[in-house]
Amino acid sequence: MSEYRVSGKGRVDAARPVSFSFDGKTFSGLKGDTVASALLANGVHLMGRSFKYHRPRGAVAAGSEEPNALIGTRRGPGRFEPNTRATVQEIWDGLQTNSQNKYPSLKFDVGAVNDAAYMLFSAGFYYKTFMWPKNFWHKVYEPFIRAAAGLGVSPTEEDPDHYASRYLHCDVLIVGAGPTGIAAAKAAAVDGLKVVLVDENAEAGGTLLSEPQAQIGGKPAWDWLASELAALKDAGVRIMTRTTAIGYYHQNMIGMVEKLTDHLPTLPKDTPRERMWRVRAKRVVLAQGALEKPLVFHGNDRPGVMLAGSAQTFLNRYGVLVGRKPIVLTCHDSAWYAAFDLSDAGAKVQAIVDTRESVPQALLDGAQSRGIPVKLSHTASGTSGRLRVNALRVNTIRSGHVEGGQNIACDAVLTSGGWTPSLHLFSHTQGKLAWDDDKTTFLPDVTPEDCLIAGASRGLWGVEAALNDGAEKGRESVAALGKTGADATYAVENDRPGTGVTHRELPTDLNPGRAKAFVDYQNDVTAKDLRLAVREGMRSIEHVKRYTTNGMATDQGKMSNINGLNIAADALGKKQPQVGLTTFRPPYTPTSFGAFCGYHRGDHFEVTRKTQIDAWAEENGAVFEPVGQWRRAWYFPKAGEDMEAAVRRECVATRKSVGIFDASTLGKIEVVGPDAVEFMNRVYTNPWTKLAVGRCRYGLLLGDDGFIRDDGVIARVAEDRFHVTTTTGGAARVLNMMEDYLQTEWPDLNVWLTSTSEQWSTIALNGPNAAKLLQPFVKDLELTEETFPHMSCTELEVAGMPARLWRVSFTGEIGFEVNVPAPMGRKLWETLWEAGQQYGITAYGTETMHVLRAEKGYIIVGQDTDGTVTPDDCGLGWAVGRKKPDFVGKRGLARPDLVTKGRKHLVGLLTEDKSKLEEGAQIVFDPNQPLPMTMVGHVTSSYTSDAVGQPIALALVAGGQDKMGETVYIPMPDRTIAAKITPMVFVDPDNTRLKI
Amino acid sequence: MSAPISQKAPGVLAASTAAEIALAAPCARLSLRARGDLAPLNAALGLTLPTRIGQVVPAGERQVICLGPDEWMIHAPSDDTAAIASACADAYATLPHSLVDVSAREVTLTIKGAHAAELLTIGCARDIDGIPVGEGRRTFFDGQTVILWRDGDTAFRMDVWNSFSGHVFDLLKTGCAELAAEHA
Amino acid sequence: MLLIHCPYCEETLPEAEFTYAGQAHIIRPENPSGQTDDQWEEFLFIRANPKGPHYERWRHFHGCGRFFNAVRDTVSDKFLTTYKAGAPRPDLSTLLPEGQK
Repeated sequence: MSEYRVSGKGRVDAARPVSFSFDGKTFSGLKGDTVASALLANGVHLMGRSFKYHRPRGAVAAGSEEPNALIGTRRGPGRFEPNTRATVQEIWDGLQTNSQNKYPSLKFDVGAVNDAAYMLFSAGFYYKTFMWPKNFWHKVYEPFIRAAAGLGVSPTEEDPDHYASRYLHCDVLIVGAGPTGIAAAKAAAVDGLKVVLVDENAEAGGTLLSEPQAQIGGKPAWDWLASELAALKDAGVRIMTRTTAIGYYHQNMIGMVEKLTDHLPTLPKDTPRERMWRVRAKRVVLAQGALEKPLVFHGNDRPGVMLAGSAQTFLNRYGVLVGRKPIVLTCHDSAWYAAFDLSDAGAKVQAIVDTRESVPQALLDGAQSRGIPVKLSHTASGTSGRLRVNALRVNTIRSGHVEGGQNIACDAVLTSGGWTPSLHLFSHTQGKLAWDDDKTTFLPDVTPEDCLIAGASRGLWGVEAALNDGAEKGRESVAALGKTGADATYAVENDRPGTGVTHRELPTDLNPGRAKAFVDYQNDVTAKDLRLAVREGMRSIEHVKRYTTNGMATDQGKMSNINGLNIAADALGKKQPQVGLTTFRPPYTPTSFGAFCGYHRGDHFEVTRKTQIDAWAEENGAVFEPVGQWRRAWYFPKAGEDMEAAVRRECVATRKSVGIFDASTLGKIEVVGPDAVEFMNRVYTNPWTKLAVGRCRYGLLLGDDGFIRDDGVIARVAEDRFHVTTTTGGAARVLNMMEDYLQTEWPDLNVWLTSTSEQWSTIALNGPNAAKLLQPFVKDLELTEETFPHMSCTELEVAGMPARLWRVSFTGEIGFEVNVPAPMGRKLWETLWEAGQQYGITAYGTETMHVLRAEKGYIIVGQDTDGTVTPDDCGLGWAVGRKKPDFVGKRGLARPDLVTKGRKHLVGLLTEDKSKLEEGAQIVFDPNQPLPMTMVGHVTSSYTSDAVGQPIALALVAGGQDKMGETVYIPMPDRTIAAKITPMVFVDPDNTRLKI
Repeated sequence: MSAPISQKAPGVLAASTAAEIALAAPCARLSLRARGDLAPLNAALGLTLPTRIGQVVPAGERQVICLGPDEWMIHAPSDDTAAIASACADAYATLPHSLVDVSAREVTLTIKGAHAAELLTIGCARDIDGIPVGEGRRTFFDGQTVILWRDGDTAFRMDVWNSFSGHVFDLLKTGCAELAAEHA
Repeated sequence: MLLIHCPYCEETLPEAEFTYAGQAHIIRPENPSGQTDDQWEEFLFIRANPKGPHYERWRHFHGCGRFFNAVRDTVSDKFLTTYKAGAPRPDLSTLLPEGQK
């Protein structure tokens, strides 16, 4: 047993030693220890270096509010995490940890030169220093800042852990399983209500774990705790430990992160590292307790200077004395009890230094009986010791005057500046805070949420007050749900409610301008910095915060905000509420990206929609591209082919014989009802009344602004039934738009819309041999011009499968689209593939589809249009039924901007040097004009075209339709390309190839 | 590479001590839309269409769930499609409606086991306990629209479109293992 | 994440089941072609941006699929009420808590 471990104390398991490493050195702790408690048990206080000055630092706190003791943890290969709080990380055999912000070693760190130069690094240092000369920014300042910036080191390997998430609905959620929360849970656990009690610590109990002396209803605190927790479990209360409520969102949605494996030496199978809980609670009770405030004085950051309450926690919960010769420095009663507990555990308390003139007699008696020297009306003006405190400089305050100091030797300084209610989650609710002058702190006022705040979070001190308030708030919560909560009144003996006074900086006899009196440990902000910020003109606490970075570190000012406010308010000569408090924002404690991602990584990252034919494409070597959520076969390279060669072969084969294409991703909507044709007339630009059953028509969809939204071929399957197709990416959007008009503008129409996108597998056959290939599989239908002309549709069997067969073409060749019930898609594909071998059938992907359609001047909505293109702009004016009284977009097309001259038109481009243009390249009329040139359009589509014999492009060009044959220029980084404006149709303008 | 869920044989796809996920046998799925006096359709279908959203009405081997104020989904044996279609077609003149065969659009996963309800909480934001046994809801699972039928305390069916089924199943399978580890 | 009451499903459900659909009570004119440019501009583009109660449309996208209307306070983000498409605008004075009328 080490000299700092107290046998018989704490909740650690003395029979289970645990071995872990810190900075490469092996240490021994006990099961139940945190890294911090185990290091302290080994007499190690130095745990890190500060962010800016690289000052040596040790743990100040014992919980998640710890600002200093940030370590890197390694839990095996790939499992490295920086900035973990040593006070939270539980140890296990083999855990590797290291300190941060030091080079070459924690004990000797060259960065500490910043500390000597600290006068330079005062508030606003970055703003002032890196202003000039301007050209120093990239070469000198930025690299310097980047090298120095950041806390800890980012992990470099891929995280092998996995993460999870769940939704949880409950009646009452209680945040904080201290005495307040436990009493609230007990009161709320009635009538089958779902009650959840959550705590960030490894075990429930909160302050009771640090105050075993309390007797609740005659029972020792820990016995009471054990029996209460067991009773809560029996009553069906869900108790979640190692689970942090990180944020309070609208309407009682609480985000919670549960840590499942960081405390385990071996990873259990199928268990995520962390799980994000999205909890929706009918009522919430916030019982987060209070955080102790440090005192602000010169040298208050030296390792060994820590919060008195935390020293008490290390002793009572972990059985660790943080020093054998501690000294207590306080302005609050609570630290006296820490002194007593440490003294009773064998420490020789050097003195209790209290700034107050008088304290309760019981405290004086307690000190006297233990032989602890008491120094009332005293302050502290400094500490000494290199890597650990070895003395506190103590001064008498006489009539408000600070006299000369006297060093008192010690190995730890336990300070208490009083307690600050933890209002973080309450603030997330946009709850209002009220300043309490007596307690010199903000207390919760009103909140818009269905939430109560109880116990120390609202300024009630002592276990008894906490229990009774918790019980009351628990009952109140269930009363709001129409239930009657269990009645209970608690009486506590050996309770330690206390009072105290509040200080800004402690009074000192030394020049406060030279004091390194830290307010924000993690960001190295001193009291002097805050006063400087005010002197330099900062008036609001929000400005002071940003100028000094006070409260902006990863601990979000849990310790520094109130001290910072008190000092800033003093410097401004205002009351604290007039200066304001900065806003707490989620998350309460640093949260891993993994917890936010949850399942959404790797295979679960996002939906990848695949067609029924996708697996065939994969087996046949397809290269895929994402189209919306779909992955589609892009091209099918043969051995040795690159993309260009494969696409060229696919294009040639399709135009020469027959190509097969998976068009299943097209959106499909079944429009059914007596008013189906009327609906179609109102939604699409085209006239539909005269479209005969069994015929198809190209449909164009506009927004009411007159711009193209979508297009697709539409078949009239029956008098009252249309089979609409949409673009792949537009499927959901188009259906939503149609539903919107139908439900809200034309609710009188008797027509209904059903998505059939995934009902059908759609296989397109294109090419001169398409009809020949298909004919044997189609009984009872002659595939001829007479019996089944272009733009026909019918329902029949194809290869024995029920099908909707369309004769349509998106290539300019004879084309068919066969729709069969989705799961039959692959069978049909393979049937056609086999039969097509005699014709040298070629599977093609989306790239070839794009080339073939561009050769014919067919647009792709979203590629050749961008939401500002009208039908006339892209040569589709013929598709607009101008005689119809109305359709969506008709009035829009008459808007002044849409009928003006000089609009951009979609045209063809052929380059003079036969080079292929880049899609997105800008177009100018005059390549010799001065910079910046006037851009008159851009290339929307560009492909190599074997059928044309040179690359082709489509482009939007201002007034393009009136400039046929003229030359435009496309300036590129290395040269300017000239191109001739042509019609959009490059291949077979007379559609002779469509004929069977 | 794995075949789409729709091309797998019906049966158990994943199982743990917490829950079991199976692919249900194919069935007829018909989306029915209508409004007004539903009597002609009730007569045609031989059942009374439920009018409260989420309500399920079984009638022999047919089962209908109300999904919206004018929307129902009918599940029936595959060979029943033609009979339903022709009965409804006969009622069309008196009560115009829309009947669309979506049998091939989606698959049904059955999810059952001690922790089936908890398993659904990894992807459903709504309170699963708010769905009474014998009812169903259209909702979402991990962002994808699904129809969730609650056949028992610990027995659910989930109808999900073909192209989303792989993603949904993969996540359910992960959850299945996770819950088994948790409750081991 | 908000809770939204669907007036068709008569259930209060997570926002994630819904999609937002813009300002409510903007009625597409009976005869758009008879609209002046100014009138059409007003219909197409001009929207309110109030601080406080806002009439807006939502769709129960992952549920019953219906578009419906809502009054939401843009300050607190809370829904004051939701109602079926086609129903008249609710009277604000009956919705606002005392002191905000």
